[in-house]
Amino acid sequence: MDPVTEIEQRIDSARSSFEELRAEMARVIVGHEELIEHVFIALVCGGHCLLEGVPGLGKTLMVRSLGEVLNLSFSRIQFTPDLMPADITGTNVLTDDPSGRKVFDFQRGPVFAHIVLADEINRATPKTQSALLEAMQEQSVTVGGRIHRLESPFMVLATQNPIEMEGTYPLPEAQVDRFFFKLVLRFPSHEELARIADLTTAAAVAPPREILDAPGVLRLRQWVREVPLAEAVKDYAVRLVMSTHPQQKEGNVAGGLAQRYVLYGSSPRGLQSLILAAKARALLAGRPNVSFEDIRAALLPSLRHRLILNLEADAEGVNAEKILGEIVAQVPEVI
Amino acid sequence: MSAENLTTKFADVIGWERRKRRERLVADAFCLSWGLAILAFPLHVYLPDGPWRWLVPLVLLAGVGPCLAYCARWRRADTTRAVLQLDKMLRLAERAITAWEITARPAAGGAALLVLKQADDRLRAVEPRSLFPRRRSWSVCLALPLFGLWFALLWRDFDRQLFRHDKSLTPPTLAYRLREFARELQERARSEGLHESLKMGEELEKVARQAMDAKASDDELKSDAGGVARKFEAETKARVDQDSFTAGESRRSLEDLKAELEAARDLMQLPGAAGEQPAAQWMERLAALPQLRRHLQPHMRPGQSSTGNEIKSLLENLDRQVSGELDRRAVLDAQRYLEQMMKQPGRQDGEGHQYARTPGGDQRESPAGGEEDKSRGNRPGKEPGKRGEEYRSLPEFRAGASTQVKGLLGEGDSRAIEFKGKPSAGKSTLGAAEVVASYRRQAEQELNSERVPDALKETIRNYFMSLGAEEPQQK
Repeated sequence: MDPVTEIEQRIDSARSSFEELRAEMARVIVGHEELIEHVFIALVCGGHCLLEGVPGLGKTLMVRSLGEVLNLSFSRIQFTPDLMPADITGTNVLTDDPSGRKVFDFQRGPVFAHIVLADEINRATPKTQSALLEAMQEQSVTVGGRIHRLESPFMVLATQNPIEMEGTYPLPEAQVDRFFFKLVLRFPSHEELARIADLTTAAAVAPPREILDAPGVLRLRQWVREVPLAEAVKDYAVRLVMSTHPQQKEGNVAGGLAQRYVLYGSSPRGLQSLILAAKARALLAGRPNVSFEDIRAALLPSLRHRLILNLEADAEGVNAEKILGEIVAQVPEVI
Repeated sequence: MSAENLTTKFADVIGWERRKRRERLVADAFCLSWGLAILAFPLHVYLPDGPWRWLVPLVLLAGVGPCLAYCARWRRADTTRAVLQLDKMLRLAERAITAWEITARPAAGGAALLVLKQADDRLRAVEPRSLFPRRRSWSVCLALPLFGLWFALLWRDFDRQLFRHDKSLTPPTLAYRLREFARELQERARSEGLHESLKMGEELEKVARQAMDAKASDDELKSDAGGVARKFEAETKARVDQDSFTAGESRRSLEDLKAELEAARDLMQLPGAAGEQPAAQWMERLAALPQLRRHLQPHMRPGQSSTGNEIKSLLENLDRQVSGELDRRAVLDAQRYLEQMMKQPGRQDGEGHQYARTPGGDQRESPAGGEEDKSRGNRPGKEPGKRGEEYRSLPEFRAGASTQVKGLLGEGDSRAIEFKGKPSAGKSTLGAAEVVASYRRQAEQELNSERVPDALKETIRNYFMSLGAEEPQQK
């Protein structure tokens, strides 16, 4: 087949799959279109997401539905202070084999799923958190000296409750940096709330149909990395990331809030996340190349959790979103 | 195929943008050059006569053009911007810029080929000139009006009319200064009736004008002017009448005498003048004039009468002597000033053609004794505090003899000696009453002090009080 035709079909397939996924998710989940898009983008980019929102916004339903639409196994881990690492990764259990001998049998933990929802990750101890974070990074767990590979594609969606921070173990910045996206769930609007009531208090809704499967997601991951990126667009992304660093002079054209409130800017992981997300967005939109708009759309979820702000920002109520908004306004596309 | 088409299309776009920039650059350079040329009108005074001022904008263009060209040279970022303009205008979502970069790569994968194909499809029908038309910049709008303004102003000699060459900015030449000096000398000679001075001024002006026309060197001019000055000096010395009373008179007294002679002449020309009145009566009337009286006194002795014609001839003779002396002195002054001017290396402020005789006398009376007054002279002379080469000590004073102190011309302090009374040995008188009064004052002062015993104070007071009554006046 002509390579161009093949690519066209590929792109068309990706776009249509995404459109169908959105439509199917919209039957089950009210609102959160952007959230669903970002979660799917993170999935096809091979990243993990940190979700922040108050309880009852439909995080678990959304993740479970996503697993069903993508035909991916789903597991939910409710993190509590007494949760142990073995509760996540699994453990060796002494059992009897058919011959009656005592043997250790590895019992897989809930992390062995395609999509893992780590609910309120900040409530567990750092030791338990690290067990999950190791799984996220290595896509494997080590138990009893043996390495157990996790499913592929594998994605963790960790949640944090922003209103109950007392007695929790906030993730250190170095661990937060490993998440591909940080997504903030907003409270539904009036219409959305009304529709939620209709969906959840009436007859049960039919489960979503499968749109894609694991191999399909893996193909999308591969296609994402093949999307061409122009030097000018890449340079724009680099300047955006450089502008989050107040100490950097080269390529830093932003001033004002970033200079005043940012203690440390984004790591290179932020740039990787930004560019991969932009590529994924272009692919899912049916475009063969990355545009400036794709970069700008991916900026906030990619970088909002990677800026370390000083106490003055905390005192004056300046958050990372405000700073990133100013950076986008100040950094030109081409210099 | 797509890549080739796209390469051509991008080349058209970039070429068109470069051409527009060059045109704008030319317009900017043109505007800047002609604008600066208009602002440079005051500097036209330093240009030689001829077509040079018409070439000023071209010279400026030669300087401004390369600078602007360097500053606005085409860079890679400009190419990127030009291609991105396509994306923005056609809403290609950066397909054009991606395709442009892909065309520069040696090999392209499947996705890159799709980008090229889609970009080619969208850009095939694009005409850069219609998509990015020329925009009128300020320089394009201003270029022709500026040129017209410059041309019109220059055609009407506006620069010369408004910014006339100010000759005072350039130091005057020696010939110019000599000419101005000669004119002033002539003016003064005409006002005072000094014929020799007038002749000298005319000859000096002639020399100066010849030097200016021939653009002669300063040395030649000095030689010519010096020759004129020497000629008049010799003539003046030859005319000096040693017996004339005027040689010992001061300039002020001569001028006063001349003024009185003019007044007397006018008086005698009035209706009912000398012919009708007795000569003695005229003599008395003329003797009322102080300077004239001195010279008429020998003719007023008792028993000696003069006729009216004799009086007239006397007055004419006096006038001739006075005018001749004034003329001689003016020539000498001018000669010395000329010598000084020729010796100076260049123009010095306050000198040059500031040749003027001040009223109130610039020569003092005969010297010897008296009070010395150092004041700033009002005649041009040497610099204050400096002795010139021609410094002379004061002449030997002789009692009763009229003499003349000659000074150096030029600005500077002047030393003058004032005398009260005749500096000759003779008797002096002092009143006895004055002496006695002073004695009494001294006595009182001593008596009031503690140095005199109280018992003797009365005795001493009585003695001094009796002095004035007993002692006769002594001469």
